[in-house]
Amino acid sequence: MKFISVAIKDFKELIRDRRGLFMILLFPMFFMIIFGIVYGNMGQTNETYNLAVVNLDEGAKMPLTNEKVNFGDNLTEIFRDVEYEDSDVKLFNVIDTSESSANKLIQLKEADVMIVIPKNFSQTTVDKMEDSITAQTTGTTSSYNNSNNDTLKLIISGDSSSMGFGVSQVVLIKIIDEYQDNLVVNIQSQASGSSVEPLKLFEGDVESVSGTESFSQFDFLAPGMMLFAILLLATTVAASLTKEVEKGTLARLRISKMRSFDMLFGALIPWSVVAAIQVLILLTVSLIMGFNWQGGLNSILLAMFIGVIGGVGSIALGMIIASFAKNDTQAFNLGIMVVVPTSFVVGAFFQLPLVVIGEIMGRSFQIYDVLPWTHILNALKSVLIYGNGLSAITYDLAWSAVLTTIIFIVGMVLFSRFRLSAEN
Amino acid sequence: MVNEFIIEANNLFKSFGDFVAVDNLNLKIKKGEVFGFLGPNGAGKTTSIKMMVGLLRPTGGQILVDGKDIANADRLKIGICPQDIVLWESLTCKESLKFMGEMYEVPDDQLETRVESLLEDLILMDKANTLVSNLSGGMKRRLNLAMALIHSPEIVVLDEPSEGLDPQSRRVLWNFIRSLRDKEGKTVILTTHLMDEADGLSDRIAIIDHGKLLRLDTPKNLKKEFGEGDIVEIHLADSKMNQEVISKLKTMETIDSVTEVDGKINIRTLNAVGKLPGIMSNVKDMNTEIADLSLHPNTLEDVFIELTGTSLRE
Ligand SMILES: Nc1ncnc2c1ncn2[C@@H]1O[C@H](COP(=O)(O)OP(=O)(O)OP(=O)(O)O)[C@@H](O)[C@H]1O
Ligand SMILES: [Mg+2]
Repeated sequence: MKFISVAIKDFKELIRDRRGLFMILLFPMFFMIIFGIVYGNMGQTNETYNLAVVNLDEGAKMPLTNEKVNFGDNLTEIFRDVEYEDSDVKLFNVIDTSESSANKLIQLKEADVMIVIPKNFSQTTVDKMEDSITAQTTGTTSSYNNSNNDTLKLIISGDSSSMGFGVSQVVLIKIIDEYQDNLVVNIQSQASGSSVEPLKLFEGDVESVSGTESFSQFDFLAPGMMLFAILLLATTVAASLTKEVEKGTLARLRISKMRSFDMLFGALIPWSVVAAIQVLILLTVSLIMGFNWQGGLNSILLAMFIGVIGGVGSIALGMIIASFAKNDTQAFNLGIMVVVPTSFVVGAFFQLPLVVIGEIMGRSFQIYDVLPWTHILNALKSVLIYGNGLSAITYDLAWSAVLTTIIFIVGMVLFSRFRLSAEN
Repeated sequence: MVNEFIIEANNLFKSFGDFVAVDNLNLKIKKGEVFGFLGPNGAGKTTSIKMMVGLLRPTGGQILVDGKDIANADRLKIGICPQDIVLWESLTCKESLKFMGEMYEVPDDQLETRVESLLEDLILMDKANTLVSNLSGGMKRRLNLAMALIHSPEIVVLDEPSEGLDPQSRRVLWNFIRSLRDKEGKTVILTTHLMDEADGLSDRIAIIDHGKLLRLDTPKNLKKEFGEGDIVEIHLADSKMNQEVISKLKTMETIDSVTEVDGKINIRTLNAVGKLPGIMSNVKDMNTEIADLSLHPNTLEDVFIELTGTSLRE
C-alpha cells in the first residue's frame, strides 16, 4: 500500500510547513470576507418579482355554511398583497395567466417564477376540513399537510439558475406554509364552533413575509463564491506537486517502484482533508458574514459533503495542471488560467446562457454539465438556497462523482506520462 | 562470458538541441567493481549516469543492465545518489529513509534494520529524528547517499558523493564504499573530482571529456601509460624561456616527456632524482635561472591534466 506511505508523508509535509498551511486555510476565509463585505449589503433593494399565477381552482362549497369559496383566488390575492418586511414594497407583481403562457413568460424571463394552483385546490381543502371536523369528534387529528388520499400539489417552477427565482421560491413556500397554518387554525375554530361567522379567508393576514428583509445578493452568490474558492485549491495542489518535480525528489521516486496512482491517490487523501477544512471555514465565514441559508444544520452538513466532493475534483484538476507546469510559479499561473475560466463556465459568478446538448434521465444536459463543478454548484445552491435534502441532489452528486473520477484518471495518466517517465 | 558486465553502454548518445553532451560512449562495467568516472566540469558524467539509471532517455544507443534494456530492468537493482542533494526538507532522517524504503517495497522487518544500519554506517544516528532542514550540509550529503542504498541495490551509482564532506567524513565514505564492494559484492559507479579518491578507490577508471571516452583502464595502467615514475616541475624565473628550454630538454634521451603546464615545465621521467643533475646543467646552459623546482611521483591528476588539458570549462 504505497499510497498510504505517500499520504502519510504528504500529511507530515503539509502539517510541518505551518506557514504554508496557514496560508492555504486562511485564503478562503479572507476571500469570503471580501465577498461578504462587497455583496452582503447589496440586493436589499427589495425588488418586486414577476409571479405568473396559473389558477385552475374550481372552487368548492363550505361544509357547514354551504358558502361558495375559492381558496385559489384567495391565495392569489395574498400573493398580490404581500410586502417585504419593514417595507411597503410588494414582493410580487402577479400575472394571471394560463399554464402554457406562464411557461413562455419564464422562458422569456418576463416572469421570475410561476405557480400552478390545481383545480381541486379548494375542494381538497374543504374535504380536509370535513375530515378534520369528524376527526375532532372522534378524538383524532389529521394535519392538513400529510393528507394521504388526495395530495395537493402547488407546483412552483422557474429558471433555477436565476436569483429572482431563488428569492421567489423561498418566499412563496413561506407564504403557502403560513396560509396552511391559518387554514388549520380556522378549521379548528370552525369545528369547535367558537367562530360562527363565515370564513372571511385571511385577507391581509399574510402581509409581510418575515425574513425577507435580510435577503441579499450575497445569499445567492455565496455558493458560487464557495465553489470558486474550492476550485482555487487546484492551484495549490498543482504547486505542491510541482515542488516535488522542481526539487528533484520526484526523480528519486520515479526510479523507485512507486506508480502514478500511489503518488496521486496518496496526495488525494491529505488534500481532501484540507478541502474539508476549507469548506468548513468557507461556510463558517459566510454564516458570520450574514449568509441566510435554508434547511437548518442538515443543510450545512450536506454542503460540507458536497464541498469535499468538489474539492476532490479540484485536486484532480491540480494534478492535470502539475503534469504541464515545471515550477510553482508556472503551476500557479497555469492554475489561475484554468480555474478562472472554469469558474465562469460552471456559473460560479453568474449563469451563462443555457446550451443544451442532449437529454439524460429526463433532464436536459448542458454543455457545462461535463464539468463536475457545475453539478457541485447546483447541489450547493439546492441545499443552501432552497433548503433541499440529499434526495434532491443525488443526480448532481452522482454526476460530480463520475466526472471527478474521470478527471482523476486523466490526471493520473498525464502525470505518469509527463512526470514519471524518463526525461527527454 | 555472459553477465560479466552488469552495465553496458552501447553507442550512448545524448544531445540537448544542437549541443552534444554524450558522444557515442561505449562502456562495460563489471560486476563487483568500483568504477571511477572522471572528467572536467560539463564533460557529460552526470548526463551519462542519468541515462544509465533510467532517469534520462538517450537520444541514441542503448543501456543494458544485466543484459536487459534499462527500460525493462528491475528497479530494485539500481540506486542513485544524485549530485545535488535531493531530500524532503520536512521529514526527519529516519522518516526519509523509511519512506524511500517503502517506495521500493522493502519488507517492514528488513527496512527497520536497514535504516538503523545505514544511519549507523554514515554516522547519522544522533540526527535520526532531526528534520532534514536542520541538518548541516555534510550530514545532508551523507543522508543523500543513504537514500540510494535503502533498498540494497546491486548497482550503486554515486555522483560526486564526497563533495562538501570534511576529511573525516570522506574517510568514512571511502571505507563505506570499499565495504560495499568487498563485503556486499556491489558494483559501485563513482564520479569525483578528487584524483586521490578515484585512484585509491577505483578498480577501473574512465576519463571522459566533451562527452567522449578518452581512456578506460586501471589507475595503475593509466599512470604507467603516461610514464611511470616521477614528475619534475621547474619554474623558470623568466617563463618566456620555457619553450627554448623544453626543446633543449627534449634532446635528453633519458626523459620520457616534457610539456608546459601552467607556465611551468613538466618533466616526466623514471628515477628523477638520478637525472636531476643532468636536467639542471641543461637548464643552466640556457643562461636562465630556476626560481623553483619540485619533484613528486606521477599521480592520476597528472594523467588527467595531460589528457584533458588545463583550460577551464565554462
Ligand atoms: N537538460 C539539459 N539541457 C541542456 N543542456 C544540458 C542539460 N543537462 C546537461 N546539459 C549540458 O550537458 C553537458 C554535460 O553536463 P553534465 O551535467 O553531464 O556534466 P558533468 O560531467 O556531470 O559536469 P560536473 O562535473 O560539473 O558535474 C553540460 O554542458 C551541460 O550544460
Ligand atoms: Mg555532474
